[in-house]
Amino acid sequence: MLTRGTLIYISQRLVLIVFTVLAVSSAVFLGIHRLPGDALFNEHLHGTEYQNVLHHYGLDLPLWQQYTNYISGMFLHGNLGESFVNRGVQIAPLVLREATVSAEVGLFALIFTIGLGMLLGVVAAVRQNTWVDYVLSTTSVIGYSMPSFVIATFLILFFAVWLDNTTQGAFYFKIGWTGTYGSIGEIWLPAFALGFPYASIVARLTRASMLEVIRQDYIRTARAKGLRETVIMVRHALRNALIPVVTILGPLAIGIITGGVIIENIFGIPGLGKEFATSILNRDYNIVIGVFTMYAALIGIANLGVDLLYVVIDPRIRY
Amino acid sequence: MAATAAAVVVRPVTPVQASLWSDAWRRLRRNRLALAGAIYLAFLIVVALVALVHTPYPMAGVAVATPYSGPSAAHWFGADNLGRDVFSRVMVGAQISLTVGIGTQLIILAVGVPIGLAAGYFKGWFDSIVSFFVNVFYGVPDLLVALLLVVLLGHPGLDKIIIAISVTRWMDMTRLVRGQTLALREREFVEAARASGAKPFKILFGHILPNALGPVIVQATFGVPAAILFEAFLSFLGLGVPAPQPSWGSMAADGLSAIRIAPHMVIAPSIALSLTLMAFNFLGDGLRDALDPRSRR
Repeated sequence: MLTRGTLIYISQRLVLIVFTVLAVSSAVFLGIHRLPGDALFNEHLHGTEYQNVLHHYGLDLPLWQQYTNYISGMFLHGNLGESFVNRGVQIAPLVLREATVSAEVGLFALIFTIGLGMLLGVVAAVRQNTWVDYVLSTTSVIGYSMPSFVIATFLILFFAVWLDNTTQGAFYFKIGWTGTYGSIGEIWLPAFALGFPYASIVARLTRASMLEVIRQDYIRTARAKGLRETVIMVRHALRNALIPVVTILGPLAIGIITGGVIIENIFGIPGLGKEFATSILNRDYNIVIGVFTMYAALIGIANLGVDLLYVVIDPRIRY
Repeated sequence: MAATAAAVVVRPVTPVQASLWSDAWRRLRRNRLALAGAIYLAFLIVVALVALVHTPYPMAGVAVATPYSGPSAAHWFGADNLGRDVFSRVMVGAQISLTVGIGTQLIILAVGVPIGLAAGYFKGWFDSIVSFFVNVFYGVPDLLVALLLVVLLGHPGLDKIIIAISVTRWMDMTRLVRGQTLALREREFVEAARASGAKPFKILFGHILPNALGPVIVQATFGVPAAILFEAFLSFLGLGVPAPQPSWGSMAADGLSAIRIAPHMVIAPSIALSLTLMAFNFLGDGLRDALDPRSRR
């Protein structure tokens, strides 16, 4: 599977990701530096003290010099500068760690989305026009109409507040993470909230394409050969029904990564999204640029992963 | 016998004159979910209009009730952390959500439709440029770009939010109109119009657009809840409409921090928001089935 062509394709895509990251961080850098206001405003610094801090961050240089310093620092040393608010905190290791946390949540959400969505879609298609189908179809419209933070809220109300009250604190979901990375017990609820709207979309798509596939001649052939129904559905129908579903994986991955901004803030997950909201409200512009740079890289890599997945699922596709 | 047979034959068969729109309306009326959605939205619009002139309590009126107190006869949805009446704030929130949703779609219609028409009709270099930008915008994460735009546009406000959402969501409409135009421009009635000397402007807006109106309306109907959701996200993160303006998103965020002692603070705006999004989606589904019966899945 990992042919020479695939490797060339991957390296081309990686170069493209580097250029995207460069473009995104340049745009954000220049945009942010045009903003009025001052990240150091709250410190009430005056005179030489103020000048010293400006010099420390290189903010006394002309803009073009700041920009070239920033870009060369990023590409030559992997340096994204220093936080304005927490002096001395280097941004690159910070956002890199946070990106892996976000990726962890996103990956769990993605697995959950695809697993649940496909399962519901297949069940609805097999039981087409029965009450099972109607219940699942209506649930999926409700699912994609509910914003993830509303779903998260109701999950918290049930699993954290209500369960805690009814079991006298013996069994409930504890919000917030104890370590850098979440354990399964800490991650399943945020992943569920993040993935549920997308699971509904996957379920709808799977149902529609399953319905199309199970009318094909080769399914009838499989039945005529006397194969068991589960084998027909899983090995013959589902595999082909997956192809249209796979095409939405790209937007899905982007949706889960951006949706993470909200979910991380609700569940207190120390990922990129939480940092993003905090740094914008703190006017910690260096971190804002860093977070955007990381997001651009994360999305580029997620898209590449999705494109490579196409090859696994649809053998007709070659790069 | 003969008399009854004659009576059957004679019964007047008036051909029902059904235009596309009355036909669509008939189909829409039969779709109960879509109808329920439309009724809810009509109700919501009335609420938003009433909130313009009257709310039970001033939406920013602090300490009109005991802070965090639950629903009561005087305060239907209870009070929030500052003792403001949640019901009044949900009413004004409806106004903000509908303004953002409809305002965004009006901008997207005003921009996306002409660009899509021109790109599909003239093709060539203009189409290439438009298609390039559409693809670029499909590749970027819209929520993040909207967040960045809100930050870069400076002081938060309803107008900034509408602009930010329009910039990140214009391409659905443009792509749709372009595709419709590409198909319609080859049809005989367009050729006839061109042969009779109609100017491109007249062909685009007089002949092609009316025939593409159905999908455009459906797209706009689905665009409204998407924009409302965006605004709620932005406000939830504290980057939406500035306080004390009550957005459903910011109300939910306020409520989330008091979820143990005052769950009504988060439940009321969340349900209002979900119902609104659901109503638009059901209406959109119904309109799609009504306006384009062939696309029935």
